[in-house]
Amino acid sequence: MKIFFPDSTTKITAGEPVSIGWILQQRDINPSEVIVSRNGKLVPEDAVASGDDEIRIIRIAHGG
Amino acid sequence: MGQGNPEMGGAERCTFCAEPPVIRLSEPDRHLCAAHLICEIEERAARTIRERELVRPHDRIAVAFSGGKDSTALLLILSRLLLSWDDVSLVAITVDEGIAGYRDDTIRAAEEVTKKLGIEHICVSFTDLVGDDLDTLLVGRETNACSVCGILRRKALTVAAHDAGATKIATGHNLDDEAQSVLMNTLRGDLPRLVRTSDADSSDCFIPRIKPLADVAEKEIAAYLFVQDLFPFLPECPYTRYALRREVRSMLSALEQQHPGTMRNLIKSKRAIEKQVDRSTISEPLRRCRQCGDPCSGELCQVCSLRKSLGK
Ligand SMILES: [Zn+2]
Ligand SMILES: [Zn+2]
Repeated sequence: MKIFFPDSTTKITAGEPVSIGWILQQRDINPSEVIVSRNGKLVPEDAVASGDDEIRIIRIAHGG
Repeated sequence: MGQGNPEMGGAERCTFCAEPPVIRLSEPDRHLCAAHLICEIEERAARTIRERELVRPHDRIAVAFSGGKDSTALLLILSRLLLSWDDVSLVAITVDEGIAGYRDDTIRAAEEVTKKLGIEHICVSFTDLVGDDLDTLLVGRETNACSVCGILRRKALTVAAHDAGATKIATGHNLDDEAQSVLMNTLRGDLPRLVRTSDADSSDCFIPRIKPLADVAEKEIAAYLFVQDLFPFLPECPYTRYALRREVRSMLSALEQQHPGTMRNLIKSKRAIEKQVDRSTISEPLRRCRQCGDPCSGELCQVCSLRKSLGK
């Protein structure tokens, strides 16, 4: 799967199924400060990413 | 969600229907699909407005609309609720502070949204108000950015709202903002401000301010917009790195993560204090600014004393 992080880095990993929450935890990202899409669709932190999934972690900018 | 093994294989479907979930909320624990999330957020805002009587028949609501996520959600929600209100109108007001590399994009985003929603839109700038943009005003005093900007933005908004004939000013402050403000005012030992800033009665100008999103979390707002393809992919204001709010924000969201309900509890405490406090004993009596005549607590209002210190 391919993961796009908010700092514009990307990571390609083998398709072992993991939860979105686990991915965030590995990078010390607080789930309340981001939203996460899987293949373009918004998903909760307990959703699972696997295979060729494209995961995009979007930082919620303060203000507005 | 604590440390250790992350939960795997969460709900496959929304708690209320067969659609895939887009967000998980706590208290009570539930998964919501896009349609149920939209419904929940709009109902919660409607409830805040109803319970706190934020909107009345014949109101003309000026929406402080930066084009960022909170005010975009606010404008969208109010434009939908408008249909159920008796003779209420909306006007969106965008303040151009003049922040290079940041504001141009958000103003373009703001124009697109108001056009799409068919809402009257007014733009005003700091240059109109004080003759200079924020970047120029802030040279050498960047660490005061948020307070300088806040004072001028408030003034620009009030003037524009007044000129537009508004009876209310609605801002996109969310649950996270409210909780952060409680903690910041407490950390600063600023009791008058702590008890001054809720609901429509917090008008330090003649037009009451309302915060319909005060019970909606920042993440819920982001998700609400994302599922409607309205999430603004915009940069953060470059000046926030100087702000205490930034530290308080990350501290509070970490606490909220470990102890769900922290932000609501903080606001609850503030409201409890508010009820106990006799405001007349802690806030200065209202006076008039000797320069411009605006209501204020000292000799000069914040805008005039800022102007004076800037040599404007
Ligand atoms: Zn549903
Ligand atoms: Zn004044």
